[in-house]
Amino acid sequence: MALTELSILELINLQKAETLVEEESSVLEGPTPDRPLPSVTPNSRWSFWGVFGSTFVTIFLAELGDKTQLATLLMSAESHAPWVVFTGAASALVATSLIGVLVGRWLHTRLSPKTLERATGTLLLVISALLLLDVIRL
Amino acid sequence: MDWHLLGLSFITVFLAELGDKSQLAAIALSGSNCKYPRAVFLGTVAALVLASLIGVLVGEGTAQVLPTRLAKAIAAMGFAILAIRLLWFNSESEALEPEPQKSPQSD
Repeated sequence: MALTELSILELINLQKAETLVEEESSVLEGPTPDRPLPSVTPNSRWSFWGVFGSTFVTIFLAELGDKTQLATLLMSAESHAPWVVFTGAASALVATSLIGVLVGRWLHTRLSPKTLERATGTLLLVISALLLLDVIRL
Repeated sequence: MDWHLLGLSFITVFLAELGDKSQLAAIALSGSNCKYPRAVFLGTVAALVLASLIGVLVGEGTAQVLPTRLAKAIAAMGFAILAIRLLWFNSESEALEPEPQKSPQSD
């Protein structure tokens, strides 16, 4: 558990460093003498994995012991065909995530960036509150 | 292949996940990370599939084997940090950005 805790903190730090680097490079053209030269140059691949990693870690930790996982393990225990249940569950999860991402993309085209930022930020806070409720009730 | 069981598990999980936290998170994250919707999609799918794989492998003892409360608490913190970054830092960087100069050269 300490390992995952470390890795999520690392990810967050990496993203912070990344945004700092981006801001710095946009404000100043070159490295300043009092600040160390950032060893990692920001590129698109880096931020792709940053987005992937932060999404993966937060959703994975949120879903551990969630009702979907409970339903999956109950069905697989009852049916004695765990891989069939897993295939069904996995394809359902792919479908719901695809719908989620498509809805997000659609909202992105419909809302102004500022409204979208506020809406998505608020939504993430709501998710955080729901998770805390789960923690209290468990 | 037991198609009846496959369909049953698909429909159960699909209905359970519609409008659930993870789907809301996928909506929020793909809306805010507009550059990398594919990264959000792949991250979400990988996390959910791995979580259900663990559910199948570990079975009923998941809650005993894994510290799910701690995991959820860390996830709540992670989502809160992502939210705060969106609500605070982005508006700050907007304020720092120089405004486009409105000096038309029409003379």
